[in-house]
This record gives sequence, structure tokens and C-alpha cells, in this order.
Amino acid sequence: MGIIYVGVGELAASRSPGDVVKILALGSCVGVIMLAPQQKIVGLLHVALPDSSINAKRGIEKPGTFADTGIPQLLNELKKMGHLRGKLTVKLAGGASIMDPNNTFNIGKRNILAIKKILWKFGLGAIAEDLGGNYCRTLSVDVDSGLVTISSPGRGTWPL
Amino acid sequence: MATLTPVLQEEAIAELISERVSNVPLLPHVVTRLLGIMGRNDHSLTDVVKIVENDLGLASRILRVANSAAFSPRQGISSLQQGILHLGEKMVAGIAIGSCTANIFNRELIGYESSSGELWDHCLRTAIAAREITASCSRRVSTDLAFTGGLLHDVGKAIIDEFLNKRTQILTAMCDKGEGGDFLDAERDSIGIDHADVGFALARHWNLPPQLAAVIKFHHRPVEADPAQQELVYLVHLGDILAMLGGTGTGADTLSYKIDEGYQRYFQLGKDGLPILLLKIEEEFTRAKSAVFAE
Ligand SMILES: [Fe+2]
Ligand SMILES: [Fe+2]
Repeated sequence: MGIIYVGVGELAASRSPGDVVKILALGSCVGVIMLAPQQKIVGLLHVALPDSSINAKRGIEKPGTFADTGIPQLLNELKKMGHLRGKLTVKLAGGASIMDPNNTFNIGKRNILAIKKILWKFGLGAIAEDLGGNYCRTLSVDVDSGLVTISSPGRGTWPL
Repeated sequence: MATLTPVLQEEAIAELISERVSNVPLLPHVVTRLLGIMGRNDHSLTDVVKIVENDLGLASRILRVANSAAFSPRQGISSLQQGILHLGEKMVAGIAIGSCTANIFNRELIGYESSSGELWDHCLRTAIAAREITASCSRRVSTDLAFTGGLLHDVGKAIIDEFLNKRTQILTAMCDKGEGGDFLDAERDSIGIDHADVGFALARHWNLPPQLAAVIKFHHRPVEADPAQQELVYLVHLGDILAMLGGTGTGADTLSYKIDEGYQRYFQLGKDGLPILLLKIEEEFTRAKSAVFAE
């Protein structure tokens, strides 16, 4: 029981009541939250980039880095944890950008699009999202209640 | 919004800030000399070794880092020359600056809602990002300068922070209004001065080389820099942005800045350039951080 920090390119799943799964300071990265309410399992993935084709080796060593390798890995992890069937709730947070009217640096948006595309391939879609903007977010998921909380320095704390 | 401290007039704040700046200890001679020669393209490794060997503390620190697991030397490194070669001069500057300015860079920034250590992490990541962009895109700027510029660019936050305390939510609200103003504008509107100007005052107090002073002053507004220094300033401007995109910022202001696309006059990142750079920066940052701070 405790706090599980999910670093860049990492993923974690837990079904221990009392655990809190957390991502600190998401910038353009996106946190993919998967909740299996029947089994009370929480999974969290910290995606940094849209596509593993830029570095296939990294995609194998740290699949969570990329949307295309991370999401299947998270689904596997949930299966291992005991989610064999039943409802799966997906929520997304992060994908922020710099103030960039021409979107040349919008890697956050590219991450979001890639993630949604892959979720769709697995027949999944997010029921709640807190994406974009020009600020960073910290994300915590309480395993017991399944409650997701976002906070940002100077902007407070709110539920997702 | 209620403030606990009386609202100070802008002139009074300016006066207090310049007092705070003049009370900051001067940089040790060894650091000023290192920064001075790194600004010149014609310096040699021997020059760096000569400066560092005069400072026993710094020399032994460099050897310790060079021999640390994160920099995995093939065999033990015993000479200073080998150590500097193995780490690269950039890291040497980083170690030198970090060891003598720890009490500045490790401050908790209450006004930014940023905990102790985050300012240094942000500056280190910016330095690594600026170096990587320089290495892949720019032939005219030395990677040493880009790195040290990145390390120092936000030093003004450590001083201005005290005066932003209790104003954080006002500042973020100004940025989130969607009227195009960024955190730098908000600082200036709110207290009459911004962290880039405060950093510039500190750069002068420290007698930093003019290129580094320009980086500090113009890193959010590179187009306003002297054309002779503009390319370097743009490199740090982008390095700063890439560090923040990676989630390594200083709290409330993270990502609340405008990008200046004028960098395209000097260099191009290419289509896959951005993700490849972000990945490389992530790896190098993790490595540098664990080596320098594992002690
Ligand atoms: Fe800045
Ligand atoms: Fe910065």
C-alpha cells in the first residue's frame, strides 16, 4: 500500500485498496487511465510520444514511451492483474503545449491523436478528458474509489 | 483577492530587488574564468584543465562524477584531463556552476508554487536541450555556450519569487484568459518587472560574458536580442520550451509562454526532429541528474 509513481514511458497497474497511482508534472506527455470497476483495478500509462517508429529499440525496452506500444502493454498489464472481461473505463489527461498559434510545436496534440486512434482500434474511447492548455498537470488515481484527481501549480485541484 | 502583505509600489519592489541582487555572493574566480573562456571558440582543453586544477574541490568533484556509474567509464579515470574529456566541458561548467550557486538554484519558489530543486532541474534540462538542438541544427554556436546559457537562463526567478508570493493565482489567471499574454507579461503587469530582467541584473552583478547576459535577458523574447547574439538566444529559447514540454518546469509558469518562430531564420528542426530530440533530451537529462546529484 502506498504511492506508485509512474515515470515517463512507464506504466503501472494496481488492485490494492489504499494505493494511489500518480504521475508528476505532465507537460506534453499524456496520462492514460484505465479503470476496471468490477475488479477494482487501476492502470496508468505515461506516454511521451506518438509513434515508436522513430526508435523501435526504445519501443521494445520501454513500450510505455509511445502511444502505439504503450496502450497494448497497459491492456496486457490489466489482464495480468485479473481484468479478463467486463467494463473498462478510460480517461485521459495532459497533452499540454506552449503558446503556439501555428501548432508547430504541438507534440501534445500529436500524442492525443495517436492515443485516441489506438484506443479506437481496441474498441475503447475516453469517457472523460482534461487535455491541452498551457500548463502542467499532476495526476493521481485512488485505487479504492477509482477517483481521478488533477492538480496544477497556481491553478488548484479538480476531479476528472 | 486578499493579500497578507501590504501591496508594495512598483518602485519599492524595484529597489528591494536591486538590493537583493547586490547581496548575492559573487561567483568564485574559477567559475567566472571557466564561463569566460567557454564563450570563446578558440579555447583548448588545456585551458579548461589549467583553470579547474586550481580548485581542488571542483577537480575532485569532476573526477567523482566522471567515474560514476551514469557516465560508465570503461576504466577508472584518474587524471583531470581524462575526466573533463569524458564528461565534456559542458558538464564541467554545470558542475562548477551547480556547486557554487546551490543556495540560489535550490530555493523553493513559493510564488511559482515550485519546490526546492525544481529550478535547478529545469535549468539543467534546458541546458541539455539547448546543447542537443545546437549539436543537431546549428553550426555557428558553440554547444558549450548553449549549455551554460541554458543553465543560467532562469536565475532571476530565485530573486523575483519573493515578490510574486500570494499573486500566483492572479498570474496564472492572466495567462489562461486566452488574450495572448504570457507569464512574463503577467509578472511585468503585476509587479513592474519580470524574471528575465531580474536575471539580467544578476548577470551584470556577476560580470557574466555578454552572450550569457543576453540569453538571460531575452530568452522569452529572442527577437529583441542583438542580432549578433540572436541565434544563441533562440537556441536557449527552444531548449527552455522543450524542457517544459517534458514536464520539467518551475510550477505555475510551466508552458505559459509564447514561442517565437523566428528561430526558423537560423535553423530547422525537421518533421521527426522534435520527437527525436525530446527522447534524446529525456535520456540525457536522466543520466546527468543521477550522476551529478547521486552524491
Ligand atoms: Fe524564463
Ligand atoms: Fe525556463
